[in-house]
Amino acid sequence: MIATIALIKDTFREAFARRIFWGFFGCCTLLLLFLMFILRIDVVAGALATISIFGNTLPTTNVQNLVQQTQSVIAMILYFAGMALSVFASAGLVAAMFEPGRIELLLSKPVSRIHLLLGRYVGNLLVVAANIVYLVAGSWIIFGIKTEIWGTGFLVSSLFTIFIFGVLLAVIVLVGVLWDSAAVAIMVTFAIMIVTPILAQKTTIERLLSTEWSRDVVRVLYYVLPKTSDVAVMIRHLILNQPIDSWMPVWSTALFGIVVLGFGLWRFNRRTF
Amino acid sequence: MRFDRPSVILYTVSEFAIETEDLTKVFTSGWSKRELRAVDRISLRVRRGSTYGLLGPNGAGKTTFVKMLLSCAHPTSGTARVFGQDTKRPAARRPIGYLPENHRFPTYMTGWGMLDFYGALSGMDSASRKRRIPELLNQVGLDERAHHLRLGKYSKGMLQRVGLAQALMHAPQLLVLDEPSDGVDPVGRKQIRDVLTALESQGVTIFLNSHLLAEVELFCQEVAIIQRGKVALSGTVQELTSGSGYRVESMGVPEGIRTEIAARARHCTVTAGLLQATFETCEEANVAVDLLRSKKCDIESLSRVRSTLEEVFMKTVEVHQ
Repeated sequence: MIATIALIKDTFREAFARRIFWGFFGCCTLLLLFLMFILRIDVVAGALATISIFGNTLPTTNVQNLVQQTQSVIAMILYFAGMALSVFASAGLVAAMFEPGRIELLLSKPVSRIHLLLGRYVGNLLVVAANIVYLVAGSWIIFGIKTEIWGTGFLVSSLFTIFIFGVLLAVIVLVGVLWDSAAVAIMVTFAIMIVTPILAQKTTIERLLSTEWSRDVVRVLYYVLPKTSDVAVMIRHLILNQPIDSWMPVWSTALFGIVVLGFGLWRFNRRTF
Repeated sequence: MRFDRPSVILYTVSEFAIETEDLTKVFTSGWSKRELRAVDRISLRVRRGSTYGLLGPNGAGKTTFVKMLLSCAHPTSGTARVFGQDTKRPAARRPIGYLPENHRFPTYMTGWGMLDFYGALSGMDSASRKRRIPELLNQVGLDERAHHLRLGKYSKGMLQRVGLAQALMHAPQLLVLDEPSDGVDPVGRKQIRDVLTALESQGVTIFLNSHLLAEVELFCQEVAIIQRGKVALSGTVQELTSGSGYRVESMGVPEGIRTEIAARARHCTVTAGLLQATFETCEEANVAVDLLRSKKCDIESLSRVRSTLEEVFMKTVEVHQ
């Protein structure tokens, strides 16, 4: 436990020192300020103003629906923007661990390699989670104060964002272990983030493809890769209090993350430094 | 110098601190599948409490050997044990303190923070770390100001000192040092040597990998010279540097005697009137002394010739080239 805490603290210390944490925190704060600004002049105030002009009182459910719609849009922005920021923030932290002259010293300590890498993984996840929770909870409080609607769906969406980031972080870890490169890790993770929303349109793509084997490839890729886009849709449903049809995107994405992280740990365990 | 150790943990009853059996590491390049045998069936035994030097030219396989001891590199075949435990097991590394050669300590850490981090990884609790850090930093010669200075601001010598403190943090029973005095000024070197001498007197095994042969000769009891992944020569420093003859020095030796002595000696020179003759055996040296005394020549000195470790090293490397 002492070693685990030390590894997590070290990741935070490095994130602070490299200005990663503060850069992330600054971006989140800017997003929150922007949110305060647009809510003040436009969306909610504007809607309420419209109500008062016509002299009719809009039913509360309509205002709630409007707020939820706005929240879901903002949650989508936070989800994708937060994810991109997180990937940028984390790639360097993972690769730094494998620097020659640093890794040997870590490996010489009486801590297993799996423990070392998992400690770094959890530390990194917590660095990002702290900022995502700050961003989402901050947005939630701003919405709540402004509209007095305190739905929990928006708050819970942060867990999905952290979950998807955890899966992408597994990819960053694997690439880091294989190639020691933050740049390659960012490229691969971004490729996944770009490809998976396209694959989410598999029904349309399948219609456009002429051969069965190419349709099979699309299907396999869809089911194997993480479903960032489908999870985003789930978040939207959650915020709008709509039922979630299938949890397949979550468990299959989790499975992908576990397999990738497991492979990363296995490779790290066998690697010679 | 008294070197305080917070606790003494005894690790198994093995007589040897390090024990390797046919330890081999073969690197295979990616596409061509060409093999490089970096370490080739090295069997080495380092007695508990001894000071052992590992020597060899660049690329001889010293660092790979050390990395296998620490499980940074996995052996292709053979075994490595530390105090009787297989080094693959994390617990086997608990009694080891290690200072790598080309270390890259995280520059965002302070000297204090670094010792705290590596101490925690070695399983030390917070109270022990707090107690140990200031005394260690002082013992390696880093003053109060350096304690809370970022490592990025440290000089090379200061980094070596804090690196040594890091290796000593959990009071290891085996210290593996890769070029410990690299970049350290002569005063610092002396300080590091004093620290190591104090540890040696407390029974800590010291395994030194260094290019500074004079330093190894001065400090180590035993050495192994590695060449092309194999142990080319090993033994005590005393054994390896002794037994290369006897030297007689004399002033004012007449020409005839000089010729006679030169004929019997392995090596003979005259510089500024001083004759220096080296003989294979003590008896031959005695005959020369008798001859010189019979001619009333002054004997300046009679001594046993010892090779330096550098001479032994150079000879070994040349032979195995």
